[in-house]
Amino acid sequence: MLFDSPAYFLFLIPVVAVYWRLSHRAQNIFLLLASYFFYGWWDWRFLALMIASTTMDFLIAQRITPSRTDSNRKKWFIFSLVLNFGILGVFKYFDFFTGSFSSVLETLGIHHIPLPLIRVILPPGISFYTFQEVAYIVDVYKGRLEPAKSFLDYGLFISLFPHLIAGPIQRPGHLLPQVQKDRTFDADRFFDGLMLIFSGLVRKCVVADNCALLANAAFGGQFGPSNFWVVLIGTYAFAWQVYGDFSGYSDIARGSAQLLGFHFMVNFRQPYLSHRLQEFWRRWHISLSTWLRDYLYIPLGGSAGGEWKISRNLLVTMVLAGLWHGANWTFVVFGAIHGTVLAAERYFFPAKTKQKDAALPQHSAGVFSLWAQRILTFNVFCLSLAFFRATSLPAAVQFLAGLSNFAWRTEYASAFFMLCLFSIPLFVVDLLMEASNQEYPFATAPYSVRTALAAFTLIILALFSGNNLNAFVYFQF
Amino acid sequence: MPSSISSSKSPALVYLRVLLGICAILVLLLEICANYLLKQDSETYARVSQQYAEAVKVRSSRSGEPASVLMVGNSLLMEGIDVDRLQELTSSKMRIYPIFLEATGYYDWLYGLQRLFRQGARPQVVVLGVGVNSFLQNSVRQDYAPMLFFDVRDVLGAAADLNLDRTATSNLLLAHLSVFWDTRSVIRTQVLRRMVPHCKELFSLVKPKPALPPAPELAAITTARIRSLRQLCEAHGAKLILLVPPTPSSEQSVRQMAIASEKAGVDSLVPIDPATLSERFYQPDELHLNSEGAALFTSALATYLPVEIGGPKSASSPD
Repeated sequence: MLFDSPAYFLFLIPVVAVYWRLSHRAQNIFLLLASYFFYGWWDWRFLALMIASTTMDFLIAQRITPSRTDSNRKKWFIFSLVLNFGILGVFKYFDFFTGSFSSVLETLGIHHIPLPLIRVILPPGISFYTFQEVAYIVDVYKGRLEPAKSFLDYGLFISLFPHLIAGPIQRPGHLLPQVQKDRTFDADRFFDGLMLIFSGLVRKCVVADNCALLANAAFGGQFGPSNFWVVLIGTYAFAWQVYGDFSGYSDIARGSAQLLGFHFMVNFRQPYLSHRLQEFWRRWHISLSTWLRDYLYIPLGGSAGGEWKISRNLLVTMVLAGLWHGANWTFVVFGAIHGTVLAAERYFFPAKTKQKDAALPQHSAGVFSLWAQRILTFNVFCLSLAFFRATSLPAAVQFLAGLSNFAWRTEYASAFFMLCLFSIPLFVVDLLMEASNQEYPFATAPYSVRTALAAFTLIILALFSGNNLNAFVYFQF
Repeated sequence: MPSSISSSKSPALVYLRVLLGICAILVLLLEICANYLLKQDSETYARVSQQYAEAVKVRSSRSGEPASVLMVGNSLLMEGIDVDRLQELTSSKMRIYPIFLEATGYYDWLYGLQRLFRQGARPQVVVLGVGVNSFLQNSVRQDYAPMLFFDVRDVLGAAADLNLDRTATSNLLLAHLSVFWDTRSVIRTQVLRRMVPHCKELFSLVKPKPALPPAPELAAITTARIRSLRQLCEAHGAKLILLVPPTPSSEQSVRQMAIASEKAGVDSLVPIDPATLSERFYQPDELHLNSEGAALFTSALATYLPVEIGGPKSASSPD
């Protein structure tokens, strides 16, 4: 069930109500069953796959902990990685690689080679829970984490419904102890959880769904052949759509988790206020970017070695990050653009001091220069989004080729007005949150103010949320 | 032991209760306001609910009386037919009961007609008029239709036919049960119309234009759908006529629709060949007929529809 559907709230409300009346162990059993129900709501067949994969990793983790002197420890570790990425590869990438290989053969003049295609539906959330399982296996293998003793705890860590379908990708070291320990009801945190859910609903149903109308029209050709204005409307609208959509999802996920006494990591920190792409990735989909840093970029060599090696590591990481988003060459190009720009930024703007991962850079540049850099970074991101959103590489190139044509239509003014109507309020909210470093606007205001704000939010939702159900963009990943 | 609930009377707990109370009251208020606004202000609701109520009462006419004709369709008929004029021109031969709702397609009317028949409507003739695109679309209208045309079993039937997942099915079900949920996109459109300049033009531009499937698939889908409609109508003693209204550059698909109709054993009526209509007969949206085009279409319909109703299956296209 989608987080912005009434079905989700009809599920969430009784779950929360029953949950807080149970003892710790019963809470975990109940949540595990509720999470499996939540996942099976789409398709019960995929539930079996997730349970099988969870069980395998639970059993393997017992064998690979450094405290065991098992000579096969490394083999089990590699087996687990192959298993996890194998399942992901088969379900998500098999047809993509087969199709691409077939195209290469045809280019070489070799036709009619019967290559198998699976054509299965992508199991929801497979990219997210696979990354969580891999993080767990790696952490246990490296001795950073004790393997879970109870399948119930581990199963719940993997399948806890608020993060199950589209993240944020939870680190075992952060979530597993929360699963294992008693949780107490905290009215403040419960209240904050509700506020996060309201904030997420507005981001998704008001900002993202309305911007989606414009982005779909621009990329779908309803505005006519591509030109400068259509590219601007399309990429800007999609930028706000994907931001509203995914940050909204993350807020609802974090809010729902908070209603159950869990804490999820912050997934977005005002990304469109970044002055470099490097900073952007510290603010955008943080749970993925930190996962990639810790489990891919650093094992590849990270920032050690010469510039060439670092650039290579960045490029490989970002191309794989692009591919994680979907089995299409458009995502590979999206990742490659980011990898290239990140490498260029390192070369032209070398970091003076090493910053801690969670800390965001302090801006020493003047206001004008800072905003110029922010605008440039935003536009580079928008440019890459043309590849992210287009259905194929030729479609993306054709879309961007329109940039040299400036033909104007009166409807474009209305489109820009509508875009501003939905994006500027979110931008202002981001500025407020940047200034206050809070998790949602007015998070430290008195309860009466926040209650009034919540009521206002509900009215905005009632007035501006559309009827057509737009699935969350990140569900397909 | 449920040890995890704190019994504190902190301000957070008090405001939490207030907030949950506000949520409940707002949901209730939204439902009441949407109900009130719909009944007071919505022309669409007033028109369609009245048309529907009259259509439920339609009965087969006795011999010598004008035939009772239930005419259903979307905006192509609404804009393209002057019903009063058509009734005037054909008063001796038929009595027309129209139900026109914009943006409706095959599934809206399949389930809409099923419910009408269940409620006792017994027209002699059912005329269904939607464009080829709408006839082939795999969706139902999310607002008005679930509330006005469907009951719970229709919602579930439509959801099954459309392979909707459980979330989409529950949304459709809620649209049937809750006026606010059904009309929230209408509310949003009305609000945006007041805020965004030239919003109507923008919305007509950004509306997705579904692509037609390839010809063989199109023929198979169309034939199967027309056959289902025919069986439904015949089971309730009504003759089905498929009316194909003109849209620009639709000659090819109109022809395919007529062929599919013939295969399914249903009379199709193409009162005006789209190729004969120039741009000047259409509205600026380049889809709907303007008043001049509507006058032409109404006259042609007044000429050919009584012939279709009176006679057995025949070659119906005027060309």
